[in-house]
Amino acid sequence: MTKQMNEKELITIEHIEQIIPGDTDYNFYFGPAHSGSGNFGVKLRIDGEKVTSARADPGYLHRGFEKLMEYRIPMQNAVLSDRVCVLEALNWNLVHAEAVDELTGVEIPQRARYIRVLMAEMSRLQSHLIWYGVMSLALGFDTGFKMAFGYRDYILDIFELITGGRVYPAGYICPGGVRRDLPDGSEDKIKRVLDQTEEMMQKMKDFDNIVFSRRTKGVGTLRTEDAIRLGATGPVLRACGVETDVRKDDPYEIYDELDFDIPVREEGDAYARCLIRGREMEESIKIIKQVLDRIPQGNIREPAKITPPSRVKIPEGEVYVRNELARGEGCAYMRSVGGGEPYRVKLRGPDFLHMIPVLEHLLKGSQIADIPAIYWSLNICPADMDR
Amino acid sequence: MAESLHKESKVIEDISAKFKIAGKVQRERRVWVTIDKDELIALCNFAKGLGFEHLSAISVTDWPEEGTFELTYHLWSYSERILLTIKTKLDRANPAVGSVVPIWKENAQIHERELHELFGVEFEGNEDLTPLFLEDWDGPPPFRKDFDWKEYVRQQYYDQANERERAYYD
Repeated sequence: MTKQMNEKELITIEHIEQIIPGDTDYNFYFGPAHSGSGNFGVKLRIDGEKVTSARADPGYLHRGFEKLMEYRIPMQNAVLSDRVCVLEALNWNLVHAEAVDELTGVEIPQRARYIRVLMAEMSRLQSHLIWYGVMSLALGFDTGFKMAFGYRDYILDIFELITGGRVYPAGYICPGGVRRDLPDGSEDKIKRVLDQTEEMMQKMKDFDNIVFSRRTKGVGTLRTEDAIRLGATGPVLRACGVETDVRKDDPYEIYDELDFDIPVREEGDAYARCLIRGREMEESIKIIKQVLDRIPQGNIREPAKITPPSRVKIPEGEVYVRNELARGEGCAYMRSVGGGEPYRVKLRGPDFLHMIPVLEHLLKGSQIADIPAIYWSLNICPADMDR
Repeated sequence: MAESLHKESKVIEDISAKFKIAGKVQRERRVWVTIDKDELIALCNFAKGLGFEHLSAISVTDWPEEGTFELTYHLWSYSERILLTIKTKLDRANPAVGSVVPIWKENAQIHERELHELFGVEFEGNEDLTPLFLEDWDGPPPFRKDFDWKEYVRQQYYDQANERERAYYD
């Protein structure tokens, strides 16, 4: 009896080969509820340690915004537009508001334009801090994660002060301008938060050698022609040596009056994408300081009184609006037939391309251990992909 | 005004010289042209040759009264810094159009896959049009204008035994 038992308990190479017959190929499902992936999955085929194929599995956050917007007037859609991307709600507010403004042809008061840019850049800063936090987490650097989220909270305090909401501003940037003027003393508070953010950026530089460069240099390299073919935009494209930024190339609001640079790197790897974002934060701070220095007095919305819903009309027409979000190019196509609600809205988020074709391309041929570094170096957000 | 829009007018001139269609300059950096479905692929190829290498988005607008789907291709040129929109109309009863995957590759592939799922447009030549967002969906393409989502939700999710739901559904 003992002899039989022992034979059963002893696992030999022959046993293993029975379970895994002869090869090291297997399927591996990254996501959809992985702490680092967000609500999104990637089906991977792995050979040993190497990824042989990757297929994105989106749809977990599909809420059908484009359809929902066809049943709502612009002021309601402004609130809806917060939700397109959780991590940069104010930037999506701006995309939506600009599309409506271009259709209505309303002249936006200068003060409102400055506030819009101020909020969009603050939103970019906090979005990059989230990215830094999750990227640190992906690389096994918990300290960076906690610090980044801590410093981000200072920016959220400013959002709460100005918009009333920490993450969702409830359509603060609305068609015609913004909902409320800056409260008294907010300029000083913003300046203090900028100092705190700069403090964090210094820490990011100090941490650089410990973790980031070692885990990301030469990982997930994207060539320039591939990046353009796959539809990459924003920091991902700029890390491949293409000098392009919607704020410069296709200026909106007051960006053509502001002085800032477009950071570009040639390497195209995950490390280059990290450095680009660090540099972009510096540029955002530069923009915010200029805005605070120059912001004029005046109205914050045109018309100043919100039109009753029954009298809202969007003039007939169609527009395509492009904005530079923290993640890349965010666009809206809006078509109106003269009703109160838009007839058709198409939202184009940067992550639709970054999370499907670009990610699939980069993961193929990579090592399992590099998956999180590649994944987060793209700074992706499933919400604006699924919409 | 006319002077500053020289770049934009040049794009329309180039296109109308070859395709005999008119276009309009909406404003600085925005050019719109409309083309017949049969010439769409040729025009897209031509546009790529003009430098419109970034396919920003493809969209479909549904016009049930007219019996058509309107496709809009939004193209950006990194060198010229112009957004060109190409519009074309399809018969709603037979919404098939040539795929632009050979021109803009994977980028176009994923946009077409999305529109096939949400509007039911057939892109001939696109080999992978498997559903993207919706899981186990067997209803009509949900972004079409004649899909009544309110009725659909009512039928699927209204629990009539639950009194509190009456306020939402009745």
